[in-house]
Amino acid sequence: MGDKKKWFQLDLGLGQKQAVAGSCGCGKPSGGCGSHATEPPKNDLTISAEEFDAAVEQELMEDSMVAQTRKDGFQQVFDRKMDRRTAFRKLTASLLVGAGAVHTSCSVTSGEEAKEKAQIDWEEQFKGNYKLMTQEEKQATVDRLVRSYQLRKKENIKMSAADASKDVLFGYAFNISKCQGYMDCVSACVKENNQDRNSQMQYIRIHEMKDGEGFKFNEADDNYYHEVPAEGHFYMGTQCFHCDNPPCVNVCPVQATWREEDGLVVVDYDWCIGCRYCMAACPYDGRRFNWSKPEVPEDEINKNQHYLGNRLRKKGVMEKCTFCVQRSRAGKDPACVEACPTGARIFGNLLDPNSTIRWVLENKQVFRLKEDLGTEPKFWYFMD
Amino acid sequence: MKKLGIVFSIIMLCGLFSCKHKEGEYHSLKEKIEEEGKHYQDPGISSEAYIGDINTIEITEGGHTFLIPERKGQIKSFACTECHSKSLAQLQKGPKEPKAHWDIKLNHANANAMNCATCHNGTNMDNLHSLTGNTIDFNQSYQLCAQCHSAQFEDWKGGAHGKNIGGWAEPRAAMTCINCHNPHRPQIGSKWPVRFNTEKENERK
Repeated sequence: MGDKKKWFQLDLGLGQKQAVAGSCGCGKPSGGCGSHATEPPKNDLTISAEEFDAAVEQELMEDSMVAQTRKDGFQQVFDRKMDRRTAFRKLTASLLVGAGAVHTSCSVTSGEEAKEKAQIDWEEQFKGNYKLMTQEEKQATVDRLVRSYQLRKKENIKMSAADASKDVLFGYAFNISKCQGYMDCVSACVKENNQDRNSQMQYIRIHEMKDGEGFKFNEADDNYYHEVPAEGHFYMGTQCFHCDNPPCVNVCPVQATWREEDGLVVVDYDWCIGCRYCMAACPYDGRRFNWSKPEVPEDEINKNQHYLGNRLRKKGVMEKCTFCVQRSRAGKDPACVEACPTGARIFGNLLDPNSTIRWVLENKQVFRLKEDLGTEPKFWYFMD
Repeated sequence: MKKLGIVFSIIMLCGLFSCKHKEGEYHSLKEKIEEEGKHYQDPGISSEAYIGDINTIEITEGGHTFLIPERKGQIKSFACTECHSKSLAQLQKGPKEPKAHWDIKLNHANANAMNCATCHNGTNMDNLHSLTGNTIDFNQSYQLCAQCHSAQFEDWKGGAHGKNIGGWAEPRAAMTCINCHNPHRPQIGSKWPVRFNTEKENERK
């Protein structure tokens, strides 16, 4: 030990035999004070420095359990005394998947499928941020995910890695005098985007508001169940507004969420660490968090998927409306637009001067929520 | 002094160009849409496949050209003259109980403004007619509605009223009036929401 120590240690001089021999409450080595008589033989009292270190370590370990309650942030993890076994366990925790993969892929007894699964897991574990991938890498990860699903569930899914098209900027308009609060959009959205059924996660909220009292979200009800439209009320829907200056993107510490060229604000579910900063930063309550493992019955899974859209998520990641990226990038209306029986929802390309969304912006009185924040949402409200 | 001037102008020039970085290129979304829309070229995305098996016809109204669902093929007993072989006056001479259209009750405006003959042509049942007596095809019935509902007609042409079919890209297809509104009772009734979030209810308790 001695020189190689990596921690601070109090020197009580226990290693020096002389000091130990002369120590007595009376200060005399002669033994006249009487207390020396009860002392055990000297050679029994003397312990080596190593033994003492170990004892102090033991003591500190117990103390640190108390101290931990006062520690915050990364100190809770890094400022902890632990034995070698625990340390190794911690160090290798994130590599366990990989280790398992290596084991399986090198094993002569496991089958070809197990090896392929392990290979996929390995590559998925160490892939980069989707945002930084080349088109080939994007396609490769999508192919792996499709194959992985095939191996696990014996079902085929279709997953796209389609990028934003040039000359496209998606925008949305919502007619508050048309919405009747039927919630067909909410239903369609849940089915389309494979949201967790147990927690009943929903991207869209329809707020029932009293006529003539302005937008009071605190007084509005977004979970009503009575015949609609209710007398003296109007309905307004909120979801992710795909801000052009999105505050959620700025706060993400790992750049797992960003704005695409066609204006969609998307999340890489495999890069998200689940810190929920974006959820706190969003002034529109547009983001949702998976507190538990999202589950969708196999026969209800929408198998037409996009990497940045409705592919199956995992526990502890953020998700939100993507304007149905799997549909919109292919030229189709988002599910909510298609489902709305009142025609209150209008979707289109803001850059196309002949699009209906542009006509609405230019010919109707439009407004956006919390416009003064400068978030530039691409979601406008209007009335007839 | 001259050198200083050159250096200064170079710095100013650099400053001018360095402002053109990607993020702060535009001051507002409006400006971005205007600028990037200037050199707009069709991105080559088509929504045609999503119209599905709906038979459509192309119409051009007030500078807007788009598709609407064809109507005549959807009316079960078209052509009307297959039954209406005689004039209405003659058909009504028979027994008092109506044999057809007994389920149709007109609940559209009031009796002073509208009756069957406001839209239907008693002497030519295969076509509709305008207030001034001009013939209107069943496929273009929106022209009939537009006579009174001009504001809705304007919004519909532009895309602010009514429902888009299929996708946002070209070709544009939209529902026509009678795809949502029953012309005999155009008011859309109230109903119950399709879902209720029990989990949210629990959380609020």
